[in-house]
Amino acid sequence: MNPVDLLGKIIEISHSNLEIPSRISSILNIIAQEMHFEEVIVYTFDRDKRLTCKFMNQKSVLFLILNQYRCHIGEGIVGSVAQKRVPQFFTIKDIPPRFGCLFYPDLNGVIEKFKTFSFLPLSDDSYLYGVMVVISSSRETIHDSEKVLLSMLSREIGGILRASELIFSSKKRISELATLSELGKTLTSNIEPHELLKNIALIIARALNATFVTIRLEHTFLKLDSQRFTYGVIEPSIENYVKELEKEAVRTKQAISLGELAPAEHKDSFKLSLYASPMLSKNRMLGTITICGTRSQQDLALEENSQYLIHTIANYISSGLENTLLNTKLRDVVKELGDAQKRLIEQEKFRSLGEMTANIAHEIKNPLVIIGGFTKRLAKKIQFEQTENRYIDIILKEVSRLETILNEILDYVKENPILIEPCNINDCMDEILYLFNSDVTWEQVHIVKEYDKALPSIMCDGQQIKQVFINILMNAFEAMHGSGTISIKTEQIKLDNKTFAAVSITDTGGGIDPAIISNIFNPFFTTKERGTGLGLAISNKIVMNHNGHLEIENVVGKGVTFVVYLPFKNSITKEEFL
Amino acid sequence: MKTIKLLVVDDEENIRILFKEELEEEGYQIELASNGLEAIKKIKESNFDLIILDIKMPGMDGIQALNAIKNVNKDQPVILCSAYGEFKQDFSSWVSDGYVVKSADTRELKQTIKNILHIT
Ligand SMILES: Nc1ncnc2c1ncn2[C@@H]1O[C@H](COP(=O)(O)OP(=O)(O)OP(=O)(O)O)[C@@H](O)[C@H]1O
Ligand SMILES: [Mg+2]
Repeated sequence: MNPVDLLGKIIEISHSNLEIPSRISSILNIIAQEMHFEEVIVYTFDRDKRLTCKFMNQKSVLFLILNQYRCHIGEGIVGSVAQKRVPQFFTIKDIPPRFGCLFYPDLNGVIEKFKTFSFLPLSDDSYLYGVMVVISSSRETIHDSEKVLLSMLSREIGGILRASELIFSSKKRISELATLSELGKTLTSNIEPHELLKNIALIIARALNATFVTIRLEHTFLKLDSQRFTYGVIEPSIENYVKELEKEAVRTKQAISLGELAPAEHKDSFKLSLYASPMLSKNRMLGTITICGTRSQQDLALEENSQYLIHTIANYISSGLENTLLNTKLRDVVKELGDAQKRLIEQEKFRSLGEMTANIAHEIKNPLVIIGGFTKRLAKKIQFEQTENRYIDIILKEVSRLETILNEILDYVKENPILIEPCNINDCMDEILYLFNSDVTWEQVHIVKEYDKALPSIMCDGQQIKQVFINILMNAFEAMHGSGTISIKTEQIKLDNKTFAAVSITDTGGGIDPAIISNIFNPFFTTKERGTGLGLAISNKIVMNHNGHLEIENVVGKGVTFVVYLPFKNSITKEEFL
Repeated sequence: MKTIKLLVVDDEENIRILFKEELEEEGYQIELASNGLEAIKKIKESNFDLIILDIKMPGMDGIQALNAIKNVNKDQPVILCSAYGEFKQDFSSWVSDGYVVKSADTRELKQTIKNILHIT
């Protein structure tokens, strides 16, 4: 076949609609046959940018040997042709000893029978797609015209590879888009957060062909059963790596891979590729996504160029995830409000019934006291005979019986039954702060919280204890004229072998004048135009009733710290409150 | 011995009479008022060693009267006396000096008076 026909044939094949690998193989076979080469081999790039033998002519012998080794750009002859992008031609006499990764003495017994070796870069104007190696055992030299022809052919093959790459990357892009749209659908569906997280993990695992995908939530404002959602199985041996990567991703707010985390000398010893990416929404750390695949799986999209996908996914789901979490939180709050309202209505019903009963009892009580009281006076004044005395006794006994019944009724319907129950002081405080937070006049008040999260519950009347906190916080607010910092600290403190929950509330209101400090607990003592002076008196009484006490640390010119001490062990009963 | 002056404040006339008679027998000098405003007027005119105040009254109620009295004189001893114990747990009643549930049996009232005035 003359060169023009050959070129024509090859261009025809390269534009046919055969599968790309078959196009290349046919071309290689034609080159071998028509130009009399024994070996026509094509190296292309693997995902990790290493050159590997991928295609060959049918009769190739060397392919099976060369195929076992891969080389970087710049390594050996194959690598250097790739780097310089110029063809190189050798004979067996002058060929350098290294053939990519492989020294040709390793090819002993095979290489000697070949005479010429041609290496041609497969590139178009801007990109390099691989290297073609053409070897002959019969030809002592390659003519210049043949060199030109080989160069033209290699350009053509480069064109096919370019098309294949385009198809591959658009396929990849399409599958990425499909993944994102699937995620989008999941995120906007109205499912529970844990279902949502499981689905997300599943979609990502499928899209990236990962061994496992695990999502960990940092944000604990939603009380889920678990903060971790995993698709696949995390082997115990790598659990620690996962945790470390997550920690690092949260710390740096950057995506990180195990390779980056590990010291250089260990890098290649990992058989796994692990990659963690933070999920950030408006700079708020929601959590991390960690993805794992085995290293040998060359298809795993974890390697460099696809890491961005995970990153994109992390960014993409963050805001959706936050919405779902907020929605769920909102639902909880709405439900709680509904419950509270129901309770209020119940209480209201009970209260009006109670009020009526109390009124009736009150109306009866006074006349009864009068009847009984004057009967007693009567008995004192006049010396009756025995029978009359017996009658008087009967009247008084019945009066007293009625009084007892009335007292019982009135005790029963009294307005605020005292409720001693386990209370979480941190929660009590948060509920109050929540109210203050939504009050515009508190806008300029900066609240700094330092809670002992492990503070055990205490036995107390939560409503009364809240009253104490509110009084102290209101005083702080008033002392600071509505702007400043209030620091709140909760802790456990041991005093004389008894443990207390101590709640310190510190303001920046300038402190209390030492001349009046001894008066502040007195009822009706106030320095405020519109104060009643009962706030601290009542608070003190409530705290004392709980067997606790109040302490003040006054720094004149700076501020005051009120410390409320409440004992954990409390033997008080309802009766002792009265 | 100096006579001890008490002011009984109650809207029910027969209760006032009962308390007056019972307490006069104990040797106290008793003045009466039928509501909070009248009571305030009286304590502005003269001093009382102790005031016995009914909580549930029309017009100014006992708790309001208590606050008003303490505002005039924060050291004025006051006993709250009510048909029932409910008010015992009302925060604002805690600033009184004593609390007695109204009863035909006046012994508790008498004893509370003695305790507050330190009479043995
Ligand atoms: N954090 C504080 N800084 C400076 N002074 C304070 C502080 N807390 C209390 N005080 C002083 O103690 C007084 C008594 O406080 P208390 O809470 O008993 O009554 P009030 O705040 O004046 O009135 P109320 O609380 O009944 O509206 C206040 O008037 C104020 O002078
Ligand atoms: Mg106050």
